Amino acid sequence: MYLTMDFEGKTAVVTGGARGIGRGIALELAALGSNVVIADMAEESAREVVAEIKAGGTRSYYCETDVTQQWSTDDMVEAALEEYGQLDVLVNNAGVGGSSGFTTRKKPLVEDWQATFDVNVYGMVNGTQSVEKYMVDRGYGKIVNISSISGRVGRSGFASYAASKAAAINVSQAWAYKLASHGINVNAVCPGLIWTPLWQDIAKWRKATDEQNAGMTPRQIFQQTVSESVPLGREQTPEDIGKAVAFLASDRARSITGQALNVDGGIRMN
Amino acid sequence: MNFTGQVAVVTGGATGIGRAIVLKLADKGAAVMIADINEEAAEVTAAEVAEISGSSSAFTTDVTNVAACEGLAQATIDSVGPADFLINNAGIAGSPGWQTRSHSTEDDWKLTYHVNVIGMSNVTSAFQQQMIKRRSGRIVNLASVAGREGRPSLSHYSASKAAVISLTQSTALELARFNITVNAICPGLLWTPMWEQVGDRYAHDVPAYEGMTPRQVFDTMIAEKIPMQKEQTPEDVADAVAFFVSDDAKNITGQALNVDGGFYMR
Ligand SMILES: NC(=O)c1ccc[n+]([C@@H]2O[C@H](COP(=O)([O-])OP(=O)(O)OC[C@H]3O[C@@H](n4cnc5c(N)ncnc54)[C@H](O)[C@@H]3O)[C@@H](O)[C@H]2O)c1
Ligand SMILES: NC(=O)c1ccc[n+]([C@@H]2O[C@H](COP(=O)([O-])OP(=O)(O)OC[C@H]3O[C@@H](n4cnc5c(N)ncnc54)[C@H](O)[C@@H]3O)[C@@H](O)[C@H]2O)c1
Repeated sequence: MYLTMDFEGKTAVVTGGARGIGRGIALELAALGSNVVIADMAEESAREVVAEIKAGGTRSYYCETDVTQQWSTDDMVEAALEEYGQLDVLVNNAGVGGSSGFTTRKKPLVEDWQATFDVNVYGMVNGTQSVEKYMVDRGYGKIVNISSISGRVGRSGFASYAASKAAAINVSQAWAYKLASHGINVNAVCPGLIWTPLWQDIAKWRKATDEQNAGMTPRQIFQQTVSESVPLGREQTPEDIGKAVAFLASDRARSITGQALNVDGGIRMN
Repeated sequence: MNFTGQVAVVTGGATGIGRAIVLKLADKGAAVMIADINEEAAEVTAAEVAEISGSSSAFTTDVTNVAACEGLAQATIDSVGPADFLINNAGIAGSPGWQTRSHSTEDDWKLTYHVNVIGMSNVTSAFQQQMIKRRSGRIVNLASVAGREGRPSLSHYSASKAAVISLTQSTALELARFNITVNAICPGLLWTPMWEQVGDRYAHDVPAYEGMTPRQVFDTMIAEKIPMQKEQTPEDVADAVAFFVSDDAKNITGQALNVDGGFYMR
Protein backbone atom coordinates (compact mmCIF):
# COMPACT_ATOMS: atom_id res chain seq x y z
CA MET A 1 0.00 0.00 0.00
CA TYR A 2 2.96 2.33 -0.30
CA LEU A 3 3.00 5.09 -2.84
CA THR A 4 5.18 4.15 -5.76
CA MET A 5 6.62 7.31 -7.13
CA ASP A 6 8.84 7.61 -10.03
CA PHE A 7 12.26 9.12 -9.53
CA GLU A 8 13.58 6.90 -12.26
CA GLY A 9 16.49 8.57 -14.03
CA LYS A 10 16.42 11.47 -11.58
CA THR A 11 19.20 12.68 -9.37
CA ALA A 12 18.96 13.83 -5.77
CA VAL A 13 21.55 15.31 -3.45
CA VAL A 14 20.98 14.70 0.24
CA THR A 15 23.12 16.70 2.64
CA GLY A 16 23.80 14.95 5.92
CA GLY A 17 22.81 11.73 4.16
CA ALA A 18 25.34 9.57 5.95
CA ARG A 19 23.17 8.60 8.86
CA GLY A 20 19.93 9.13 10.76
CA ILE A 21 17.16 10.94 8.93
CA GLY A 22 19.33 11.82 5.94
CA ARG A 23 20.08 8.16 5.41
CA GLY A 24 16.35 7.39 5.56
CA ILE A 25 15.65 10.06 2.94
CA ALA A 26 18.46 8.85 0.68
CA LEU A 27 17.32 5.23 0.84
CA GLU A 28 13.71 6.18 0.15
CA LEU A 29 14.54 8.29 -2.90
CA ALA A 30 16.83 5.53 -4.16
CA ALA A 31 14.11 2.92 -3.64
CA LEU A 32 11.90 5.04 -5.89
CA GLY A 33 14.53 5.04 -8.62
CA SER A 34 16.70 8.06 -7.93
CA ASN A 35 20.46 8.31 -8.12
CA VAL A 36 21.53 9.84 -4.83
CA VAL A 37 24.59 11.84 -3.89
CA ILE A 38 25.46 11.54 -0.21
CA ALA A 39 26.88 14.94 0.75
CA ASP A 40 28.32 14.74 4.22
CA MET A 41 31.51 14.90 6.21
CA ALA A 42 31.22 11.53 7.92
CA GLU A 43 33.00 9.49 5.29
CA GLU A 44 32.75 6.05 6.80
CA SER A 45 29.02 5.95 7.38
CA ALA A 46 28.41 7.81 4.13
CA ARG A 47 30.16 5.07 2.23
CA GLU A 48 27.95 2.47 3.89
CA VAL A 49 24.83 4.30 2.68
CA VAL A 50 26.34 4.54 -0.81
CA ALA A 51 26.89 0.78 -0.81
CA GLU A 52 23.32 0.15 0.36
CA ILE A 53 21.93 2.32 -2.42
CA LYS A 54 24.07 0.65 -5.07
CA ALA A 55 22.94 -2.75 -3.84
CA GLY A 56 19.39 -1.56 -4.47
CA GLY A 57 20.19 -0.88 -8.09
CA THR A 58 20.57 2.88 -8.50
CA ARG A 59 23.73 4.96 -8.59
CA SER A 60 25.29 6.79 -5.69
CA TYR A 61 28.53 8.27 -4.48
CA TYR A 62 29.91 10.05 -1.48
CA CYS A 63 30.69 13.72 -1.88
CA GLU A 64 32.71 15.17 0.97
CA THR A 65 30.80 18.35 1.77
CA ASP A 66 30.77 20.94 4.50
CA VAL A 67 27.49 22.76 4.04
CA THR A 68 28.71 25.73 6.03
CA GLN A 69 31.02 26.61 3.15
CA GLN A 70 29.59 28.01 -0.05
CA TRP A 71 32.54 26.76 -2.10
CA SER A 72 31.88 23.28 -0.78
CA THR A 73 28.19 23.20 -1.75
CA ASP A 74 29.16 24.72 -5.12
CA ASP A 75 31.54 21.81 -5.62
CA MET A 76 28.82 19.41 -4.48
CA VAL A 77 26.39 20.61 -7.14
CA GLU A 78 29.00 20.82 -9.86
CA ALA A 79 30.18 17.29 -9.18
CA ALA A 80 26.63 15.92 -9.19
CA LEU A 81 25.94 17.55 -12.55
CA GLU A 82 29.18 16.22 -13.95
CA GLU A 83 28.46 12.73 -12.71
CA TYR A 84 24.78 12.40 -13.62
CA GLY A 85 24.14 15.21 -16.09
CA GLN A 86 21.17 16.55 -14.17
CA LEU A 87 20.04 17.44 -10.68
CA ASP A 88 16.36 17.24 -9.87
CA VAL A 89 16.13 17.21 -6.10
CA LEU A 90 18.11 18.90 -3.33
CA VAL A 91 17.40 17.86 0.24
CA ASN A 92 18.97 20.19 2.80
CA ASN A 93 19.02 17.87 5.77
CA ALA A 94 22.42 18.34 7.45
CA GLY A 95 21.93 19.63 10.95
CA VAL A 96 23.50 19.83 14.38
CA GLY A 97 22.22 20.33 17.91
CA GLY A 98 25.05 22.60 19.01
CA SER A 99 28.82 22.91 18.91
CA SER A 100 30.90 20.04 20.22
CA GLY A 101 30.32 19.36 23.89
CA PHE A 102 26.84 20.94 23.93
CA THR A 103 25.41 17.83 25.53
CA THR A 104 27.05 18.70 28.82
CA ARG A 105 26.10 22.38 28.98
CA LYS A 106 23.10 23.70 30.84
CA LYS A 107 23.10 26.93 28.88
CA PRO A 108 24.04 27.27 25.22
CA LEU A 109 27.29 29.11 24.61
CA VAL A 110 27.64 31.63 21.85
CA GLU A 111 29.44 28.84 19.99
CA ASP A 112 26.29 26.72 20.16
CA TRP A 113 24.18 29.50 18.67
CA GLN A 114 26.83 29.97 16.03
CA ALA A 115 27.14 26.28 15.14
CA THR A 116 23.42 25.67 14.85
CA PHE A 117 22.98 28.73 12.66
CA ASP A 118 26.03 27.88 10.56
CA VAL A 119 24.85 24.39 9.73
CA ASN A 120 21.06 24.50 10.10
CA VAL A 121 20.49 27.88 8.46
CA TYR A 122 23.50 28.98 6.41
CA GLY A 123 24.01 25.36 5.35
CA MET A 124 20.54 25.41 3.85
CA VAL A 125 21.11 28.78 2.24
CA ASN A 126 24.43 27.65 0.79
CA GLY A 127 22.99 24.49 -0.69
CA THR A 128 20.07 26.39 -2.18
CA GLN A 129 22.26 29.13 -3.60
CA SER A 130 24.51 26.57 -5.22
CA VAL A 131 21.68 24.85 -7.05
CA GLU A 132 19.48 27.87 -7.73
CA LYS A 133 20.94 29.07 -11.01
CA TYR A 134 20.98 25.62 -12.55
CA MET A 135 17.37 24.95 -11.55
CA VAL A 136 16.16 28.37 -12.72
CA ASP A 137 17.85 27.92 -16.11
CA ARG A 138 16.22 24.54 -16.42
CA GLY A 139 12.84 25.75 -15.17
CA TYR A 140 12.49 22.74 -12.90
CA GLY A 141 13.62 21.67 -9.48
CA LYS A 142 12.55 20.40 -6.08
CA ILE A 143 14.09 21.56 -2.84
CA VAL A 144 13.10 20.04 0.48
CA ASN A 145 14.49 21.44 3.70
CA ILE A 146 14.52 19.59 6.99
CA SER A 147 13.39 21.82 9.80
CA SER A 148 11.88 20.50 13.05
CA ILE A 149 8.73 20.83 15.10
CA SER A 150 10.92 22.66 17.58
CA GLY A 151 11.03 25.43 14.99
CA ARG A 152 7.26 25.87 15.19
CA VAL A 153 7.11 27.57 18.55
CA GLY A 154 9.68 28.75 21.08
CA ARG A 155 10.02 27.00 24.40
CA SER A 156 12.47 27.11 27.26
CA GLY A 157 15.48 24.89 26.81
CA PHE A 158 17.45 24.28 23.64
CA ALA A 159 16.54 27.73 22.36
CA SER A 160 19.55 27.93 20.07
CA TYR A 161 18.57 24.84 18.13
CA ALA A 162 14.87 25.72 18.05
CA ALA A 163 15.56 29.22 16.77
CA SER A 164 17.70 27.85 13.96
CA LYS A 165 14.89 25.52 12.97
CA ALA A 166 12.37 28.38 12.95
CA ALA A 167 14.76 30.21 10.68
CA ALA A 168 14.86 27.15 8.44
CA ILE A 169 11.10 27.41 7.87
CA ASN A 170 11.41 31.10 7.11
CA VAL A 171 14.27 30.48 4.69
CA SER A 172 12.20 27.83 2.93
CA GLN A 173 9.37 30.31 2.47
CA ALA A 174 11.69 33.02 1.20
CA TRP A 175 13.11 30.76 -1.50
CA ALA A 176 9.71 29.32 -2.29
CA TYR A 177 8.54 32.84 -3.17
CA LYS A 178 11.68 33.63 -5.07
CA LEU A 179 11.69 30.48 -7.17
CA ALA A 180 7.94 29.85 -7.54
CA SER A 181 7.58 31.32 -11.00
CA HIS A 182 10.55 29.27 -12.25
CA GLY A 183 8.93 25.87 -11.80
CA ILE A 184 10.80 25.17 -8.58
CA ASN A 185 9.06 23.96 -5.44
CA VAL A 186 10.63 24.63 -2.05
CA ASN A 187 9.09 23.02 1.00
CA ALA A 188 10.09 21.96 4.47
CA VAL A 189 9.45 18.90 6.58
CA CYS A 190 9.30 19.22 10.35
CA PRO A 191 10.17 15.88 11.92
CA GLY A 192 8.99 15.10 15.42
CA LEU A 193 10.82 12.51 17.53
CA ILE A 194 13.24 10.22 15.74
CA TRP A 195 15.82 8.04 17.40
CA THR A 196 18.99 9.10 15.62
CA PRO A 197 22.49 10.05 16.79
CA LEU A 198 21.24 13.63 17.07
CA TRP A 199 18.45 12.64 19.44
CA GLN A 200 20.92 10.55 21.42
CA ASP A 201 22.85 13.76 21.95
CA ILE A 202 19.69 15.57 23.00
CA ALA A 203 18.95 12.80 25.51
CA LYS A 204 22.48 13.05 26.86
CA TRP A 205 22.03 16.79 27.20
CA ARG A 206 18.76 16.29 29.09
CA LYS A 207 20.37 13.71 31.33
CA ALA A 208 23.21 16.08 32.16
CA THR A 209 21.06 19.15 32.70
CA ASP A 210 17.75 17.94 34.13
CA GLU A 211 17.71 16.18 37.50
CA GLN A 212 14.52 14.32 36.65
CA ASN A 213 16.31 12.55 33.84
CA ALA A 214 19.50 11.78 35.78
CA GLY A 215 18.73 8.13 36.50
CA MET A 216 17.51 7.28 33.01
CA THR A 217 19.28 5.94 29.94
CA PRO A 218 19.15 8.14 26.83
CA ARG A 219 16.74 5.71 25.20
CA GLN A 220 14.46 5.82 28.25
CA ILE A 221 14.45 9.60 28.11
CA PHE A 222 13.45 9.39 24.44
CA GLN A 223 10.73 6.85 25.09
CA GLN A 224 9.30 8.88 27.92
CA THR A 225 9.19 11.93 25.68
CA VAL A 226 7.39 9.92 23.02
CA SER A 227 4.78 8.54 25.37
CA GLU A 228 4.16 11.95 26.93
CA SER A 229 3.88 13.94 23.74
CA VAL A 230 2.91 11.91 20.67
CA PRO A 231 -0.87 11.53 20.21
CA LEU A 232 -0.38 8.55 17.89
CA GLY A 233 1.66 6.99 20.70
CA ARG A 234 4.72 5.98 18.73
CA GLU A 235 8.06 7.39 17.62
CA GLN A 236 8.58 8.53 14.04
CA THR A 237 11.23 6.95 11.86
CA PRO A 238 13.75 8.11 9.26
CA GLU A 239 11.62 6.15 6.79
CA ASP A 240 8.58 8.30 7.62
CA ILE A 241 10.57 11.43 6.87
CA GLY A 242 11.93 9.85 3.70
CA LYS A 243 8.41 9.21 2.48
CA ALA A 244 7.23 12.74 3.20
CA VAL A 245 10.29 14.15 1.44
CA ALA A 246 9.65 11.85 -1.51
CA PHE A 247 6.09 13.13 -1.78
CA LEU A 248 7.13 16.77 -1.67
CA ALA A 249 9.96 16.15 -4.14
CA SER A 250 7.67 14.35 -6.57
CA ASP A 251 5.49 15.84 -9.26
CA ARG A 252 2.48 14.79 -7.21
CA ALA A 253 3.20 17.81 -5.07
CA ARG A 254 3.59 20.10 -8.12
CA SER A 255 1.24 22.73 -6.69
CA ILE A 256 2.66 22.70 -3.19
CA THR A 257 5.31 25.25 -2.33
CA GLY A 258 6.39 27.23 0.71
CA GLN A 259 4.81 24.75 3.08
CA ALA A 260 6.22 23.08 6.18
CA LEU A 261 4.72 19.66 6.88
CA ASN A 262 4.93 18.22 10.38
CA VAL A 263 5.66 14.50 10.45
CA ASP A 264 5.33 14.08 14.16
CA GLY A 265 2.43 11.81 15.09
CA GLY A 266 0.37 14.87 15.96
CA ILE A 267 2.65 16.58 18.51
CA ARG A 268 2.15 19.97 16.92
CA MET A 269 -0.73 20.72 14.64
CA ASN A 270 -0.39 23.28 11.98
CA MET B 1 0.62 3.02 -5.10
CA ASN B 2 -1.91 0.37 -4.59
CA PHE B 3 -5.17 0.76 -2.70
CA THR B 4 -6.58 -2.55 -3.84
CA GLY B 5 -8.85 -3.97 -1.16
CA GLN B 6 -9.29 -0.57 0.51
CA VAL B 7 -12.65 1.10 0.86
CA ALA B 8 -12.92 4.87 0.43
CA VAL B 9 -15.90 7.15 1.02
CA VAL B 10 -15.87 10.58 -0.62
CA THR B 11 -18.55 13.09 0.32
CA GLY B 12 -19.36 15.62 -2.38
CA GLY B 13 -17.70 13.16 -4.74
CA ALA B 14 -19.96 13.92 -7.69
CA THR B 15 -18.30 17.05 -9.04
CA GLY B 16 -15.23 19.27 -8.89
CA ILE B 17 -12.50 18.31 -6.44
CA GLY B 18 -14.47 15.42 -4.98
CA ARG B 19 -14.84 13.83 -8.40
CA ALA B 20 -11.07 14.02 -8.98
CA ILE B 21 -10.47 12.38 -5.60
CA VAL B 22 -12.93 9.62 -6.45
CA LEU B 23 -11.26 8.95 -9.78
CA LYS B 24 -7.76 9.00 -8.28
CA LEU B 25 -8.56 6.55 -5.50
CA ALA B 26 -10.48 4.27 -7.88
CA ASP B 27 -7.59 4.38 -10.32
CA LYS B 28 -5.32 3.13 -7.51
CA GLY B 29 -7.65 0.24 -6.88
CA ALA B 30 -9.82 1.39 -3.99
CA ALA B 31 -13.52 0.61 -3.90
CA VAL B 32 -15.07 4.06 -3.73
CA MET B 33 -18.42 5.11 -2.33
CA ILE B 34 -19.62 8.44 -3.70
CA ALA B 35 -21.82 10.27 -1.21
CA ASP B 36 -23.41 13.38 -2.65
CA ILE B 37 -26.63 15.33 -2.42
CA ASN B 38 -26.65 15.68 -6.20
CA GLU B 39 -27.91 12.28 -7.26
CA GLU B 40 -27.76 12.91 -10.98
CA ALA B 41 -24.14 14.09 -11.02
CA ALA B 42 -23.17 11.29 -8.63
CA GLU B 43 -24.52 8.71 -11.06
CA VAL B 44 -22.46 10.23 -13.88
CA THR B 45 -19.27 10.06 -11.81
CA ALA B 46 -20.14 6.55 -10.63
CA ALA B 47 -20.39 5.49 -14.26
CA GLU B 48 -16.92 6.91 -14.89
CA VAL B 49 -15.61 4.95 -11.92
CA ALA B 50 -17.20 1.79 -13.24
CA GLU B 51 -15.16 2.20 -16.41
CA ILE B 52 -11.96 2.31 -14.36
CA SER B 53 -12.55 -0.34 -11.78
CA GLY B 54 -15.56 -2.32 -12.97
CA SER B 55 -17.59 -1.45 -9.93
CA SER B 56 -18.96 1.68 -8.38
CA SER B 57 -21.33 2.86 -5.71
CA ALA B 58 -23.16 6.08 -5.19
CA PHE B 59 -25.33 6.88 -2.22
CA THR B 60 -27.47 9.97 -2.15
CA THR B 61 -26.56 11.76 1.05
CA ASP B 62 -27.18 15.14 2.56
CA VAL B 63 -24.38 15.53 5.08
CA THR B 64 -26.51 17.85 7.21
CA ASN B 65 -28.87 14.98 7.90
CA VAL B 66 -27.61 12.77 10.73
CA ALA B 67 -29.82 9.83 9.84
CA ALA B 68 -28.67 10.01 6.22
CA CYS B 69 -25.03 9.92 7.34
CA GLU B 70 -25.71 6.88 9.50
CA GLY B 71 -27.48 5.32 6.54
CA LEU B 72 -24.44 6.01 4.41
CA ALA B 73 -22.12 4.36 6.94
CA GLN B 74 -24.30 1.27 7.05
CA ALA B 75 -24.73 1.16 3.28
CA THR B 76 -20.95 1.33 2.90
CA ILE B 77 -20.44 -1.69 5.15
CA ASP B 78 -23.20 -3.59 3.38
CA SER B 79 -22.07 -2.87 -0.15
CA VAL B 80 -18.27 -2.60 -0.07
CA GLY B 81 -17.21 -3.21 3.52
CA PRO B 82 -16.04 -0.99 6.38
CA ALA B 83 -14.39 2.24 5.34
CA ASP B 84 -10.60 2.54 5.40
CA PHE B 85 -10.58 6.11 4.11
CA LEU B 86 -13.10 8.87 4.67
CA ILE B 87 -12.72 12.00 2.57
CA ASN B 88 -14.90 14.83 3.88
CA ASN B 89 -15.06 17.01 0.80
CA ALA B 90 -18.70 18.13 0.54
CA GLY B 91 -18.87 21.86 0.89
CA ILE B 92 -20.76 24.97 -0.14
CA ALA B 93 -19.90 28.64 -0.29
CA GLY B 94 -23.24 30.13 0.74
CA SER B 95 -26.99 29.71 0.69
CA PRO B 96 -28.79 29.75 -2.67
CA GLY B 97 -28.24 33.04 -4.51
CA TRP B 98 -25.30 34.08 -2.31
CA GLN B 99 -23.07 34.85 -5.25
CA THR B 100 -25.21 37.72 -6.48
CA ARG B 101 -25.57 39.37 -3.09
CA SER B 102 -23.07 41.83 -1.72
CA HIS B 103 -23.17 40.76 1.91
CA SER B 104 -23.38 37.54 3.92
CA THR B 105 -26.88 36.84 5.23
CA GLU B 106 -27.77 34.86 8.31
CA ASP B 107 -28.80 32.03 6.00
CA ASP B 108 -25.35 32.09 4.39
CA TRP B 109 -23.74 31.76 7.79
CA LYS B 110 -26.05 29.02 8.97
CA LEU B 111 -26.13 26.86 5.88
CA THR B 112 -22.41 27.16 5.19
CA TYR B 113 -21.56 26.22 8.75
CA HIS B 114 -24.10 23.43 8.66
CA VAL B 115 -22.72 21.75 5.54
CA ASN B 116 -19.00 22.52 5.89
CA VAL B 117 -18.56 21.96 9.62
CA ILE B 118 -21.52 20.21 11.23
CA GLY B 119 -21.93 18.03 8.13
CA MET B 120 -18.28 17.01 8.37
CA SER B 121 -18.75 16.15 12.00
CA ASN B 122 -21.92 14.17 11.19
CA VAL B 123 -20.17 12.01 8.62
CA THR B 124 -17.09 11.52 10.79
CA SER B 125 -19.23 10.46 13.75
CA ALA B 126 -21.11 8.01 11.57
CA PHE B 127 -17.92 6.35 10.35
CA GLN B 128 -15.59 6.50 13.30
CA GLN B 129 -16.97 3.40 14.98
CA GLN B 130 -16.07 1.26 11.95
CA MET B 131 -12.54 2.60 12.11
CA ILE B 132 -12.14 2.38 15.88
CA LYS B 133 -13.22 -1.26 15.82
CA ARG B 134 -10.46 -2.10 13.37
CA ARG B 135 -7.90 0.20 14.99
CA SER B 136 -7.13 1.79 11.66
CA GLY B 137 -8.42 4.52 9.44
CA ARG B 138 -7.62 7.66 7.52
CA ILE B 139 -9.73 10.77 7.44
CA VAL B 140 -8.97 13.69 5.15
CA ASN B 141 -10.97 16.92 5.46
CA LEU B 142 -11.21 19.58 2.79
CA ALA B 143 -10.56 22.96 4.34
CA SER B 144 -9.33 25.92 2.27
CA VAL B 145 -6.68 28.62 2.24
CA ALA B 146 -9.64 30.84 3.09
CA GLY B 147 -9.57 29.08 6.48
CA ARG B 148 -5.99 30.16 7.08
CA GLU B 149 -6.72 33.86 6.96
CA GLY B 150 -9.89 35.91 6.66
CA ARG B 151 -11.07 36.76 3.15
CA PRO B 152 -13.00 39.84 2.13
CA SER B 153 -16.59 39.20 1.06
CA LEU B 154 -16.35 35.54 2.10
CA SER B 155 -16.48 35.92 5.88
CA HIS B 156 -19.03 33.16 6.41
CA TYR B 157 -17.12 30.74 4.18
CA SER B 158 -13.71 31.69 5.54
CA ALA B 159 -14.87 31.21 9.11
CA SER B 160 -16.37 27.81 8.30
CA LYS B 161 -13.07 26.68 6.79
CA ALA B 162 -11.09 27.91 9.82
CA ALA B 163 -13.50 25.77 11.83
CA VAL B 164 -12.69 22.80 9.59
CA ILE B 165 -9.00 23.15 10.44
CA SER B 166 -9.86 23.29 14.13
CA LEU B 167 -12.25 20.34 13.83
CA THR B 168 -9.50 18.38 12.07
CA GLN B 169 -7.15 18.96 15.00
CA SER B 170 -9.71 17.99 17.63
CA THR B 171 -10.71 14.86 15.75
CA ALA B 172 -7.05 13.96 15.24
CA LEU B 173 -6.47 14.14 18.99
CA GLU B 174 -9.61 12.15 19.76
CA LEU B 175 -8.86 9.35 17.31
CA ALA B 176 -5.06 9.15 17.52
CA ARG B 177 -5.09 6.43 20.16
CA PHE B 178 -7.08 4.23 17.78
CA ASN B 179 -4.44 4.56 15.08
CA ILE B 180 -6.66 6.78 12.98
CA THR B 181 -5.08 9.80 11.34
CA VAL B 182 -7.02 12.95 10.53
CA ASN B 183 -5.55 15.62 8.29
CA ALA B 184 -6.83 18.53 6.25
CA ILE B 185 -6.00 19.90 2.86
CA CYS B 186 -6.30 23.59 2.11
CA PRO B 187 -6.73 24.03 -1.63
CA GLY B 188 -5.93 27.41 -3.15
CA LEU B 189 -7.69 28.49 -6.34
CA LEU B 190 -9.34 25.83 -8.48
CA TRP B 191 -11.71 26.41 -11.33
CA THR B 192 -14.71 24.33 -10.23
CA PRO B 193 -18.46 25.04 -10.07
CA MET B 194 -17.85 26.49 -6.63
CA TRP B 195 -15.23 28.95 -7.80
CA GLU B 196 -17.52 30.16 -10.53
CA GLN B 197 -19.81 31.30 -7.74
CA VAL B 198 -16.94 32.88 -5.83
CA GLY B 199 -15.89 34.80 -8.93
CA ASP B 200 -19.41 36.02 -9.41
CA ARG B 201 -19.58 37.17 -5.81
CA TYR B 202 -16.27 39.05 -6.02
CA ALA B 203 -17.43 40.79 -9.19
CA HIS B 204 -20.49 41.96 -7.27
CA ASP B 205 -18.82 42.88 -4.04
CA VAL B 206 -15.10 43.66 -4.35
CA PRO B 207 -14.40 46.99 -6.10
CA ALA B 208 -11.19 45.75 -7.71
CA TYR B 209 -13.08 43.03 -9.56
CA GLU B 210 -16.20 44.98 -10.47
CA GLY B 211 -17.72 44.11 -13.82
CA MET B 212 -15.44 41.15 -14.51
CA THR B 213 -16.63 37.69 -15.49
CA PRO B 214 -16.00 35.00 -12.87
CA ARG B 215 -13.20 33.58 -15.00
CA GLN B 216 -11.59 37.02 -15.30
CA VAL B 217 -11.72 37.41 -11.52
CA PHE B 218 -10.14 33.98 -11.18
CA ASP B 219 -7.34 34.72 -13.65
CA THR B 220 -6.65 38.09 -12.03
CA MET B 221 -6.39 36.48 -8.62
CA ILE B 222 -4.00 33.81 -9.93
CA ALA B 223 -1.77 36.53 -11.34
CA GLU B 224 -1.91 38.63 -8.17
CA LYS B 225 -1.88 36.05 -5.41
CA ILE B 226 -0.26 32.82 -6.53
CA PRO B 227 3.55 32.83 -6.48
CA MET B 228 3.62 29.86 -8.87
CA GLN B 229 1.46 31.89 -11.26
CA LYS B 230 -0.72 28.89 -12.01
CA GLU B 231 -4.14 27.70 -10.97
CA GLN B 232 -4.35 24.52 -8.93
CA THR B 233 -6.32 21.59 -10.23
CA PRO B 234 -8.65 19.01 -8.66
CA GLU B 235 -5.99 16.47 -9.63
CA ASP B 236 -3.39 18.31 -7.50
CA VAL B 237 -5.66 18.01 -4.49
CA ALA B 238 -6.42 14.35 -5.25
CA ASP B 239 -2.67 13.59 -5.25
CA ALA B 240 -2.34 15.11 -1.78
CA VAL B 241 -5.33 13.11 -0.57
CA ALA B 242 -3.74 9.94 -1.95
CA PHE B 243 -0.59 10.74 0.02
CA PHE B 244 -2.42 11.30 3.30
CA VAL B 245 -4.41 8.05 3.05
CA SER B 246 -1.39 5.96 2.09
CA ASP B 247 0.91 4.15 4.51
CA ASP B 248 3.53 6.73 3.62
CA ALA B 249 1.72 9.19 5.89
CA LYS B 250 1.00 6.85 8.78
CA ASN B 251 2.76 9.11 11.26
CA ILE B 252 1.20 12.36 10.11
CA THR B 253 -1.92 13.55 11.89
CA GLY B 254 -3.63 16.81 12.76
CA GLN B 255 -1.96 18.70 9.93
CA ALA B 256 -3.44 21.05 7.38
CA LEU B 257 -1.49 21.10 4.13
CA ASN B 258 -1.89 24.00 1.72
CA VAL B 259 -2.06 22.92 -1.92
CA ASP B 260 -2.09 26.42 -3.26
CA GLY B 261 0.94 27.26 -5.39
CA GLY B 262 2.37 29.22 -2.46
CA PHE B 263 -0.70 31.47 -1.90
CA TYR B 264 -0.41 31.11 1.83
CA MET B 265 2.73 29.87 3.54
CA ARG B 266 2.54 28.57 7.02
N1 LIG C 1 16.22 13.23 15.21
C1 LIG C 1 15.15 13.98 15.38
O1 LIG C 1 14.27 13.64 16.20
C2 LIG C 1 14.96 15.25 14.59
C3 LIG C 1 13.78 15.97 14.80
C4 LIG C 1 13.55 17.11 14.08
C5 LIG C 1 14.48 17.53 13.14
N2 LIG C 1 15.62 16.84 12.93
C6 LIG C 1 16.54 17.35 11.88
O2 LIG C 1 16.78 16.35 10.93
C7 LIG C 1 18.08 16.53 10.34
C8 LIG C 1 18.85 15.23 10.47
O3 LIG C 1 18.95 14.92 11.85
P1 LIG C 1 19.41 13.51 12.42
O4 LIG C 1 18.63 13.28 13.64
O5 LIG C 1 19.44 12.51 11.36
O6 LIG C 1 20.91 13.92 12.86
P2 LIG C 1 22.29 13.10 12.78
O7 LIG C 1 23.21 13.79 13.69
O8 LIG C 1 22.03 11.66 12.99
O9 LIG C 1 22.75 13.29 11.27
C9 LIG C 1 23.13 14.53 10.78
C10 LIG C 1 24.06 14.33 9.61
O10 LIG C 1 24.47 15.62 9.13
C11 LIG C 1 25.88 15.62 8.91
N3 LIG C 1 26.42 16.96 9.04
C12 LIG C 1 26.53 17.70 10.17
N4 LIG C 1 27.13 18.87 9.89
C13 LIG C 1 27.40 18.87 8.58
C14 LIG C 1 28.04 19.82 7.71
N5 LIG C 1 28.50 20.99 8.15
N6 LIG C 1 28.14 19.51 6.39
C15 LIG C 1 27.66 18.32 5.93
N7 LIG C 1 27.09 17.40 6.72
C16 LIG C 1 26.95 17.67 8.03
C17 LIG C 1 26.41 14.67 9.96
O11 LIG C 1 27.70 14.18 9.60
C18 LIG C 1 25.34 13.58 9.99
O12 LIG C 1 25.61 12.58 9.03
C19 LIG C 1 18.71 17.67 11.09
O13 LIG C 1 18.53 18.86 10.35
C20 LIG C 1 17.92 17.72 12.37
O14 LIG C 1 17.95 18.99 12.95
C21 LIG C 1 15.88 15.70 13.65
N1 LIG D 1 -12.69 25.28 -5.79
C1 LIG D 1 -11.82 25.85 -4.99
O1 LIG D 1 -11.05 26.71 -5.40
C2 LIG D 1 -11.73 25.42 -3.55
C3 LIG D 1 -10.74 26.01 -2.79
C4 LIG D 1 -10.60 25.65 -1.46
C5 LIG D 1 -11.42 24.69 -0.92
N2 LIG D 1 -12.40 24.10 -1.66
C6 LIG D 1 -13.23 23.08 -0.99
O2 LIG D 1 -13.14 21.85 -1.67
C7 LIG D 1 -14.38 21.13 -1.54
C8 LIG D 1 -14.91 20.77 -2.90
O3 LIG D 1 -15.14 21.99 -3.62
P1 LIG D 1 -15.44 22.09 -5.18
O4 LIG D 1 -14.79 23.31 -5.66
O5 LIG D 1 -15.16 20.80 -5.82
O6 LIG D 1 -17.03 22.40 -5.09
P2 LIG D 1 -18.23 21.86 -5.99
O7 LIG D 1 -19.36 22.77 -5.68
O8 LIG D 1 -17.78 21.72 -7.38
O9 LIG D 1 -18.50 20.42 -5.38
C9 LIG D 1 -19.03 20.24 -4.10
C10 LIG D 1 -19.82 18.94 -4.07
O10 LIG D 1 -20.41 18.79 -2.75
C11 LIG D 1 -21.76 18.40 -2.90
N3 LIG D 1 -22.55 18.84 -1.76
C12 LIG D 1 -22.93 20.10 -1.46
N4 LIG D 1 -23.71 20.11 -0.36
C13 LIG D 1 -23.82 18.82 0.05
C14 LIG D 1 -24.49 18.19 1.13
N5 LIG D 1 -25.24 18.89 2.00
N6 LIG D 1 -24.38 16.85 1.26
C15 LIG D 1 -23.65 16.13 0.37
N7 LIG D 1 -23.00 16.68 -0.67
C16 LIG D 1 -23.09 18.01 -0.83
C17 LIG D 1 -22.20 19.06 -4.18
O11 LIG D 1 -23.34 18.40 -4.72
C18 LIG D 1 -20.98 18.92 -5.06
O12 LIG D 1 -20.98 17.70 -5.77
C19 LIG D 1 -15.31 22.03 -0.75
O13 LIG D 1 -15.26 21.65 0.62
C20 LIG D 1 -14.71 23.40 -0.95
O14 LIG D 1 -15.04 24.27 0.09
C21 LIG D 1 -12.57 24.45 -2.99
